[in-house]
Amino acid sequence: MMLVRAFVSHYRRHPFQLAALALMIVLATMLWAGVTVLTDQARSSLFQSEAAVAARVHVVHSDGQPVDVDDFADLRMAGVCVAPWLEVQRPPPEGRVVGIDPLAMNCFGESAPGGGAGTLDGTPFLDISEAAHLSREGHESRLYLLAADKNLALPQGYVSREFSLGPPTGELADSFLLNLDALSLLVLLITGLLVRSVHRLGIAQRGGSFDLLYRFGVPRRRVRQLLALELVALAGVCVLPGLWLGAQLAGVLGSGFGQALDSLFDVTLYAGSADSLPWQAAGVMVLLVLAVCLVDWVVPQHWQGVAGSRRGRLVAALILSSGLVGVALAPNLAWVFAGTALVFAGAGWLTPGLLALLAQRLSDHASLDENDLLTRWRRRELAVMFRHLALPVVALQYAMATVLAVQALVTTFESTFEDWLAQRLEAEFYVEVPQGADAGLAADRLRKLEGIGAWHQVSRGEARISVEASGSEGDTVAVDLFALNPIGDLVVGWALMASVNQPWQALEQGGVMINEQLARRRQLEVEDTLEITLAETVTSAKVVGIYSDYGRPAGEILMSGATLPRNFSARFESFSINPGALTMAEISEHLAETWNTHDLTVRDNASIRALASQVFGQTFLLTRAISLLTLVLAAVALLIMGWVFFTTRAWYFRLLGIWGLPAIVVRGQLRRLSVTLTLAITLAALPLGIWLTWALVSRINPLAFGWSLPMDLYPLFWLELGLVALVTGLVIALLMRRQLVHRASEKQVER
Amino acid sequence: MPGPILAVERLSKGFKSGGQLVPVLRSLSLGVRPGESLAVVGRSGSGKSTLLNLLCGLQTPDDGIITVAGESFHRSGNTSFEARWAELRRRSIGVVFQEANLMPALSLMDNVRLRAHLAGHLSGNERGWLERLGVGAEADRYPDQVSGGQAQRAALAMVFAMSPALILADEPTGSLDRHTADAVADCLFAMQRETACALVLATHDTELASRCDHMLDLSGAG
Repeated sequence: MMLVRAFVSHYRRHPFQLAALALMIVLATMLWAGVTVLTDQARSSLFQSEAAVAARVHVVHSDGQPVDVDDFADLRMAGVCVAPWLEVQRPPPEGRVVGIDPLAMNCFGESAPGGGAGTLDGTPFLDISEAAHLSREGHESRLYLLAADKNLALPQGYVSREFSLGPPTGELADSFLLNLDALSLLVLLITGLLVRSVHRLGIAQRGGSFDLLYRFGVPRRRVRQLLALELVALAGVCVLPGLWLGAQLAGVLGSGFGQALDSLFDVTLYAGSADSLPWQAAGVMVLLVLAVCLVDWVVPQHWQGVAGSRRGRLVAALILSSGLVGVALAPNLAWVFAGTALVFAGAGWLTPGLLALLAQRLSDHASLDENDLLTRWRRRELAVMFRHLALPVVALQYAMATVLAVQALVTTFESTFEDWLAQRLEAEFYVEVPQGADAGLAADRLRKLEGIGAWHQVSRGEARISVEASGSEGDTVAVDLFALNPIGDLVVGWALMASVNQPWQALEQGGVMINEQLARRRQLEVEDTLEITLAETVTSAKVVGIYSDYGRPAGEILMSGATLPRNFSARFESFSINPGALTMAEISEHLAETWNTHDLTVRDNASIRALASQVFGQTFLLTRAISLLTLVLAAVALLIMGWVFFTTRAWYFRLLGIWGLPAIVVRGQLRRLSVTLTLAITLAALPLGIWLTWALVSRINPLAFGWSLPMDLYPLFWLELGLVALVTGLVIALLMRRQLVHRASEKQVER
Repeated sequence: MPGPILAVERLSKGFKSGGQLVPVLRSLSLGVRPGESLAVVGRSGSGKSTLLNLLCGLQTPDDGIITVAGESFHRSGNTSFEARWAELRRRSIGVVFQEANLMPALSLMDNVRLRAHLAGHLSGNERGWLERLGVGAEADRYPDQVSGGQAQRAALAMVFAMSPALILADEPTGSLDRHTADAVADCLFAMQRETACALVLATHDTELASRCDHMLDLSGAG
């Protein structure tokens, strides 16, 4: 017992150190728990969002008459699993909601939309009675009888049909979930570094006590056992408030922050507060604390000394270089992730030493001017600090680099995605061609309508292609076909990644365009000739353009509908229409008359665009929130570490005061030193952040999903980070200010 | 005979302990002329360091007047006093402690240059001071690369390089062995005589104290 008391006596004399370590574990747990909750919620929220736009099957009358409640009763009594699905379209920002009956959905099991993934809170699912109420208020609505399975055995007079709301988004969501997972791992790494840095500071000061215990006959192993016990107890106590805070934080971000953004930018965040504490995160955090604090016991002593040596720096440079080369040349995603890890490891290893070296060099330079001696001293102090604060410096560098990359990625993604969506949904409305209806008749009718705006017919189906130049027989690949007719104002504004001169004319004359995924996968370029098999008809066509396609991984070719063979059977057909001088109701009437049906599906593209943007808006929001939180934690950690470390150097600032430098000048020196420290870290984070942005948009996305994003840089973010660094530096100086007054120096002078 | 560079009249200082004021110095008066040395002796807690802190403005007296180089200071916490004290410490008062007198991030040479620069006496002869104090060969080393005695000599070189009118030395040899302490003390007194500055030396060491011109025993002062 006495041994334990002697062991922990250090913290009685230095309670601040214990508080700093405890605070760091609490903050780290908070961040990790928050990230875990947010990531889980992002996932479930996305599933929920996707459920709202996913393709589904509904049951209709064979003769096109609308279904009603009697049909539902007849089908259920016939043993068919169907459920009512009442879509109500409200004007923005509320948008579309879907009324469902959870009881009727029982037979859908796991595949029940809105049942398994989310709650009936109007995002977008709600109870069918509420939706019916909205419908009675005059909002446009439509009732579907949703079927659980496409291949249902239906009674006479009924058929099943697919319906979907817009572009499939699954792969885009996967991309972001992958990025969120990678970000979570990075957060874990950063929090680990921070906890370790605070713990190492305490251990360095307790080294003398441990040596004394050893001299008193306490085996080193016993000391280690006590140290591990102390950490387990501390982590066990601190993770609890950390978990609670993390859940609260996620809740705040998921509701308050989200609601604020919702009202400002019409971005709905479906994720709310966690239902229960993320206990799994607690286990991970306790293990992480033990691992990062006690790793020295398993790393051989001579390795630990190598880190800061010349040989160590050489190894770090090699690791960094091999990481850079690895990411640039990696054949698959696993290698890219491994290379990225190497780049981070190498950069983190090198940065504090290089910054210290730079400060030392600048200090030597300052000595040439005899009036610059204080500057010289300040730079030397800076060099000392970079070495002693290596871990928090690296943690902040990682955090800043991550924030930079995530911000750039998300902003690029948002603008690119918006542009792409705008291109794809250029028309105001689209009308599905009903099953069995003749799209050609409708196209003729539209051509004759006076006053109608731009329109085109869309045909989707499958094709097989092979590259003629490759010459290898059987080297064919199945691709999606996307045919438009006529090629007009709705598409000619598309931004193409590469094209021949006048690409749209070339398309009309029998050329094809291909999406980026296909171009990358098959190494296709503009002017290559493809052999295209369509409904057993083989034709040759030149690639006249390559277009971005962010929604899915599949290869796709775009052709003019006029060049499709007569026997081609489309999987899905629709019309994209700008009504022009007519109203959509008038056009719908013409089409319904042409097809002799009442079952016409007309969709408002603006609401689809809003819906799709909403789905990704919340993911962008969560990604940003997580990276921002990481930055805040790293800044707080640097603040704590900087403050603690500056406290150990406080005497030298006091010495300047004793030497007669006015207090205001001493404080100015301190301010310059702390701000230079934090700003230097920001500068060191820039190249890593820019590189990470490049790796994300140019390597990870193409390898994972087949499409890349433009590499855009946003210097405004750099300024924002600089501001965070400036504030951190100023707060360190402010906290230190109290310790520099003469009264505080009395104790030192009285020694 | 020149007037005193340092004059103290009815100086009092106490500290609060357990809600009560414990007097440390009570109505103390003294004077030191240029070229003179005064040893302040007394048991631990008698107020030696407190007196030196008061004499360089690091603490404020409860009562009394301190005059240094013609400038008088009294109890008032006037902020202009702080600036005037700072100016005096910068240009006229050299302070030497038992240890930690040097900036660890700077070489011995740069420490001396920095101190001379602050005092406005950067002459280019800073290496000369280090050589005269016997640590010229260590000029480019850092404080943690030299012995305690060498660091203390460098601290003295810093003080003399600023050409002070008054040196306040608080146990300057307290952490050194006898042999090194004697060598450092020899340097201190030799240079003090050479520069004709005043010296106030707080020490437990009676032998060291006996080398001063005058002695003030604070054992009964409180």
